[in-house]
Amino acid sequence: MSFSIPQYDNRLRSILTSINMAKVLSVVGLLAIAVVGQALTPSSFLTTVDQNRLKSVFEAASPYADTQAAHYSILGLKLLGATIPNAQDACKVISKVLDGSNVASIYYGATAAKALGNCKVEVPEFKKTLTDAIKEDSSVQDIVFAYLALKSLGLPADDSAVSKAILAALNTDDSPSSHSYAFLAATELSGDISKFVDNIEDVVAQADEVDDKYLQFEGGLFATALVVDSAYKLAEKNKKAPTIAQDKVLKFANYFLSRKHVHQLKSAYQFLSVIKTLTTNKFHVPVAVTLASPVAVTQADPSVKVQVTDLLGGNLGEMTVTADSARHLEDGAVVLSKKQFTLSASEKSLFELNFLEAKPAKGFYKLTISVVPKKADAKLIGTTGAEVEVKVTTKVAIENVEIGVADKDQATAARTTRLVHPNKAATVIEADYHQKIVMKFQLKDKTSGTLMTAHQAFVRLTNLETKQEIIFVTESDNSLTSKFDLDVGSSAKEFGSVSGKYSMELIVGDAVIENPFSWLIADISITFPEASEAPANTTNQYAKKPEIKHKFNEPEKRPPATVSLAFTALVLLPLLILLVLWLRIGVNVSNFPISLSAVGFHVCLGAIFGLYYCYWTHLNMFQTLRWLGIIAVPTFFFGNRLLSALASKSQLPKKKK
Amino acid sequence: MPEKLANVIVKFYDEYMQSTPKKLKIIDAYLVYVLITGIVQFAYCCLVGTFPFNSFLSGFISTVGSFILAVCLRLQSNPQNKLEFSGISPERSFADFIFAHVILHLVVINFIG
Repeated sequence: MSFSIPQYDNRLRSILTSINMAKVLSVVGLLAIAVVGQALTPSSFLTTVDQNRLKSVFEAASPYADTQAAHYSILGLKLLGATIPNAQDACKVISKVLDGSNVASIYYGATAAKALGNCKVEVPEFKKTLTDAIKEDSSVQDIVFAYLALKSLGLPADDSAVSKAILAALNTDDSPSSHSYAFLAATELSGDISKFVDNIEDVVAQADEVDDKYLQFEGGLFATALVVDSAYKLAEKNKKAPTIAQDKVLKFANYFLSRKHVHQLKSAYQFLSVIKTLTTNKFHVPVAVTLASPVAVTQADPSVKVQVTDLLGGNLGEMTVTADSARHLEDGAVVLSKKQFTLSASEKSLFELNFLEAKPAKGFYKLTISVVPKKADAKLIGTTGAEVEVKVTTKVAIENVEIGVADKDQATAARTTRLVHPNKAATVIEADYHQKIVMKFQLKDKTSGTLMTAHQAFVRLTNLETKQEIIFVTESDNSLTSKFDLDVGSSAKEFGSVSGKYSMELIVGDAVIENPFSWLIADISITFPEASEAPANTTNQYAKKPEIKHKFNEPEKRPPATVSLAFTALVLLPLLILLVLWLRIGVNVSNFPISLSAVGFHVCLGAIFGLYYCYWTHLNMFQTLRWLGIIAVPTFFFGNRLLSALASKSQLPKKKK
Repeated sequence: MPEKLANVIVKFYDEYMQSTPKKLKIIDAYLVYVLITGIVQFAYCCLVGTFPFNSFLSGFISTVGSFILAVCLRLQSNPQNKLEFSGISPERSFADFIFAHVILHLVVINFIG
């Protein structure tokens, strides 16, 4: 097993800090809301890489399957300022895939063709399809598409009829996306558009807030972008700022930027369109404060760089950028306040601050940054409370390293050897199972000269022959001294009782340590007691297990046949006694009445018991009952006759059988 | 004392032999037979074991049931008890005895396995 320390370490550290941060953030968040409002300033923008990715999304749509794809692809490329490859071919494709009876298809085709320029799509039935669509019971989308298609085809349209139709259709469907199509139409409409402008506030109020940081509409990126985009376009025409609060604009902007990896064509176009609108409109332009340097601030690279741009990475003019505060995330200590960033020599929108001048202790910091343009500009929003997070790292030195062997049961001072990093102990350290290996060391922050502990400090023992590794964790006490105790006897199990030579390494790492190291300290020779059992049963636990077979209930042991037979005889013996007794009493069998009923009765009775025998050996209950019913009738009949005959001559001596 | 006891027994035996109707003696003999059979079954069960338990049980039930039925028959056909069973003739009680036996042994056979 080998691992690279900084990587492993950062992962763990980031988990730990995210837990910490969550706590700190919630507290900070509460404070922030009370004092300056939450940090909403976007912390990223659409970089060139992002724009290229979007470009490839638009280019991938070619050849166009339908006019919608053409529309979004061509308009998206235009927004990016890219050229449309094979414009004439694209124009032909649009004419081919255009469906003259479908309003949306015509709209997408017509607008795409217009954007291409020098491309005419003309089909005679357009006009009829489009004008037919403008009526009050069409959907808002169809009316708007029809109207905009007419406009881009240069055909006349009745603005007041369109306005009336849209307002009527909005009564039946007042979803945010319907409203946003209405806004789009209103930007082209002449006449009174105040009704549409008034709707902006209501529609924006329907957005859902997520994590106090994002605002979005049901329907995701496309719907949200469409609403914001169309609202600003309408406001532009109305020449009045839209009634959207600044913090809401910032939350929308944050939401858009969180979705900048979009791959769906129409969402990508709408996303790009709204970002463009948010950088070019006259009312609200969010400022993005982005960390441009690595998160780690080191002695070698002591400055924190931030980039202050609009959402497309454009320069916003001359700025004064100030770090209002820098707060240590763990103990909340504020290390600097009101410190101005200096403009970078190389780039216009890049600002730097030598963070280490403030002599911050190692750890994670949150910088709160505010931006003030040299020339006051009311449209810039999110200029205060931007936050970036950095960490200050340090170099570490290891000192006072002692290693030795002590007796397990006596607290006698161990014979220890002092070691100096990065040298290896000259002698092999020997220990048997009555002893323990003891090691102590201290870590020192080279910058501040104070003792510190590292998040990760392990001791790795590697068997020189088998290459088996056993890793132990060191423990640090209150005096910041780390210790490692290896009780040889009781840790035999970890080692599998394999005696022999091991190499001992100390591994130290932390998210804020620049120079994590792995130091081969010494070779040690360990002797374990004779392995009482084979080294841990390593047979494959996934090996085939014996097959499970069904087992019948084992019959109980029967007594020997002689015993059974003897008792059978014993049971039959009383029958003999009975006969003897009866003979002695003097049973008069000769008095047996020879009549049909007497014989029949006895025969039937015998038959019943014969039937019972058959039941015992092979018949089932139902067969038996059927036979019993058949035999019972003559038995009853004969029995009745016999007994009544006997009763009638009861004056005679009564004899039976 | 033992002499007296012997006297009592002898006298009781003579009395029984002389005054008991022959019919009842037959029933008594039958009772003795059933009783001894039951005792043998029980002894087997105690000495050897109950396996197979259902067979033992049905056999034992058969003897106990037969004994009880025979006792009933004896009670009903005893001339001394005529007053108590005025409506029941000895023939009637014998028919009942047969009928009860048929039912009892149907159950016993069913249970014997």
